Amino acid sequence: MGSPDPFLAAGLASFFLGAVSGLATWKRPATARIVAFAFAVLGSLLLAVASCLALARPSSATWSLPLVTLFQCTVRLDPLSAWFTLTLAILALAVSVYSFGYLRPLERTRNLGALGFFYNALLLGLALVFTAANAFFFLSAWEVMAVSAFCLVAFEHEKAETRSAAVVYLIMSHAGTVMMLAAFLLLAAFAGSTDFASFHLLASKLPPGEQGAVFLLFFAGFGVKAGIVPLHIWLPDAHPVAPSNVSALMSGIVIKCGIYGMARVFFDFFGPPPLWTGTVVLAVGVVTALVGVLYALQEHDLKRLLAYHSIENIGIIVMGFGAALMFRTLGHLNLAAMAIIGALYHTVNHAIFKGLLFLAAGSVVQSVRTRNMEEMGGLIRRMPGTALFFLVGAIAISGLPPLNGFVSEWLTYQALLAGFGTTHSLTRMMFPIAGALLALTAALAAACFVKAFGIPFLALPRSEAAANARETAPEMQYAMALLAAACFVLGLGATWILPVFDPITQQALGVQVSQSLVAHGFALQAGTAQSGTVSPAGIALVFLALVGTAAFLVNRRLRRARVATGPAWDCGLPGLTSDNEYTATAFSKPLRLIFSAFYRPNREIRPEYDVSPYYPSAIRFESGIEPTFEKHIYGPLKDWVFGLSRRMRAIQAGSIHAYLAYIFVTLIVLLLFGVRE
Amino acid sequence: MHTLQDPEFGNKMVTLMAALVLVLQIAMVAQRWIVTSIRIFAAQSFLLAAIANTIAYYNHAPHIYAAAALTLLAKGILVPIVLERLVARIGIRQEIKPILNVPLSIVISGGLTLVGYVLAEPFYRPDEAPGAATLGHNALAVAISLFLIGFFMMINRRNALTQVLALLCLENGLFLAAISLTYGMPLIVELGVLFDVLVAVMVLGILVYRIRETFESVDVSRMRRLRG
Repeated sequence: MGSPDPFLAAGLASFFLGAVSGLATWKRPATARIVAFAFAVLGSLLLAVASCLALARPSSATWSLPLVTLFQCTVRLDPLSAWFTLTLAILALAVSVYSFGYLRPLERTRNLGALGFFYNALLLGLALVFTAANAFFFLSAWEVMAVSAFCLVAFEHEKAETRSAAVVYLIMSHAGTVMMLAAFLLLAAFAGSTDFASFHLLASKLPPGEQGAVFLLFFAGFGVKAGIVPLHIWLPDAHPVAPSNVSALMSGIVIKCGIYGMARVFFDFFGPPPLWTGTVVLAVGVVTALVGVLYALQEHDLKRLLAYHSIENIGIIVMGFGAALMFRTLGHLNLAAMAIIGALYHTVNHAIFKGLLFLAAGSVVQSVRTRNMEEMGGLIRRMPGTALFFLVGAIAISGLPPLNGFVSEWLTYQALLAGFGTTHSLTRMMFPIAGALLALTAALAAACFVKAFGIPFLALPRSEAAANARETAPEMQYAMALLAAACFVLGLGATWILPVFDPITQQALGVQVSQSLVAHGFALQAGTAQSGTVSPAGIALVFLALVGTAAFLVNRRLRRARVATGPAWDCGLPGLTSDNEYTATAFSKPLRLIFSAFYRPNREIRPEYDVSPYYPSAIRFESGIEPTFEKHIYGPLKDWVFGLSRRMRAIQAGSIHAYLAYIFVTLIVLLLFGVRE
Repeated sequence: MHTLQDPEFGNKMVTLMAALVLVLQIAMVAQRWIVTSIRIFAAQSFLLAAIANTIAYYNHAPHIYAAAALTLLAKGILVPIVLERLVARIGIRQEIKPILNVPLSIVISGGLTLVGYVLAEPFYRPDEAPGAATLGHNALAVAISLFLIGFFMMINRRNALTQVLALLCLENGLFLAAISLTYGMPLIVELGVLFDVLVAVMVLGILVYRIRETFESVDVSRMRRLRG
């Protein structure tokens, strides 16, 4: 096997050419759709080859891109980077194929050249973020990624909703970048270099105060991009308003930049950190997962619902990191490795099933022309392919065996449970609580996806548009099929994939644990004394056997019996319509009641009367939940900033004399008090 | 020793001329006729060139002669001519009322001179470098005062043209500081600075004319209207 670097270079070049071709075909959307996305497909394939080579035979070659800048544009594909570039490659491949079909109806109305340009720029930025080996180059790539993502989110800029979402995203993203920049500068000042190689294990040598500052700055900076609570508010606004292929990339891989950054900092730059860091990360992860899934439950915009689930899954990944940090400090390297594997495995899994769900949602939205679930219904008959793929994604994200979401959540869960056996007396209580809340999160996610699948796809159409929906382009189906297949492969083949993590944990912690996680070649085990063993493949086989037998029996019975078809029981009312169906709001009502302390639901019933108060002519009903974070954190923050700006305007008099006087006074004061010895 | 070769004599000459420069500067603060101000600036530049010549003579630094000659040409002759033509073209000959009145302005200028001396104090070390090297210690204080008073004049005047003039005085202060501290920067730096001043005068001249066209006045206070 050869070196991965030529393939990586070719992949980067391909994304670059894709961006250039987008510019070249600015005025020809039909050409742009084919050429720009063909380059994206090619680049993804090359990147996939490079990542597989790098994972198969880890090398640490560092090389420079031929760019003229003030800093070294060094690139390095180590196992951790390769894992993320592989995730990127799989998702980008599927999304680019999907785009061929998805964008065809937009050729007449939209500037697809611009879309192709920013799309390829985003992929290029992502690939460089994951491989950059110099702090300044990393930040530059980060900005390429963030700004092209902003342009893609703002693609449908004629809608006010889109513009405000994009602006909020841009502001938060840059606030995050500032924190990262500060942390990198602190490290660089200490290291005397901006190369990642010189940062290795360096952060732990800082004085305790600076160490904590660097850790928190990095965590918050990357956390904004990842969407940890309470820095998540941009995410559910920005992801849904983008074109659906972009939404899939945003939720699938762009937020993973934050996860990559955390992994790089926590397990490369830091040695064993102070115990509180792991505790903070674990607690934030738990809160993020719960808040994400709770908001998702009350969301009836299909794409917003998926965006909230991204927050939930980021929480699960961050929980894995938190546990790994704590285990590392406590000296349980094998458990730390298991938690890291759980987190990184969930990263790729989430990219794949969330990509799949967003692509399926995009297909639905393109067909029905609304994102509101209450206006869908009955789509399984009209869009059977999309429905099937959405179902696969829904099962995977709910963490049900034998699909991929189960494996990674199980690993995280086992790591958390094993944490109780660790000696440290106070912090050991964190683990079972976090584990219980992870289980709650997974259960709520499953409940949410019963709604997310049932309301749009089952029963009768709730609107004219849903009744007239058509299945979407074949390229879109192929792309979804690819990701659905990946869900199965990563679920059923988990035991064969785990050894891939050995170089990553070797690099991060110096241990290899994949052997201890695999029992009998096909079952997963936690590798600790009181842990369980589970085999996704075995579960799948048993499931198939049971369903097969049942189907066989039912079929045989049906063939013998006489079957009569009649109308459904309608309580004596004249005919059942879609108005009789369970709505999404109604479905989530019990949970709204149970968690009312969190949601603070408000509802308003306003009857309107014509003549007598006993016979209302119409009743208005409104129900909603309080946007806690926007109202209690970001609202006051915004008011404060605006108030400060208003006060600052007083010194901006617009008079030249005033400005000169400011300079003069500053100068005199500095000369008199600053210069003297 | 011949009187002319005595560094002490040189020191006195430089101090005398520097004092004259300062007096001219304060005279300009009190002056309201624009043409007179321009001539004061020309005289100041002549004196500056003379100071540069003196320093060149006592330190045997021939390249300062070149700087002196350039100063004379550019600031003593060329810039005043350009500015006087500009005054003739826009037809405004007298400064409108300054922001602070004349007596108060002069008092403030005196205060700024004091600040200049306070700031120059740490640079005066006669024990370390006796003789010719102490030539400029008064000159440095005057230079800082020139700079500060020039700056103050920019704030105090409403007329864009006198502001240009104030900027040039400020630049004179920088020149004096440069030659008194370093006994002449490399000629290329002097050339660059002079070229800068010429370009600035050209650009500002055009700008002043434009302001006059747009606002029917050269009072920069009116530019407040440009605020968004």
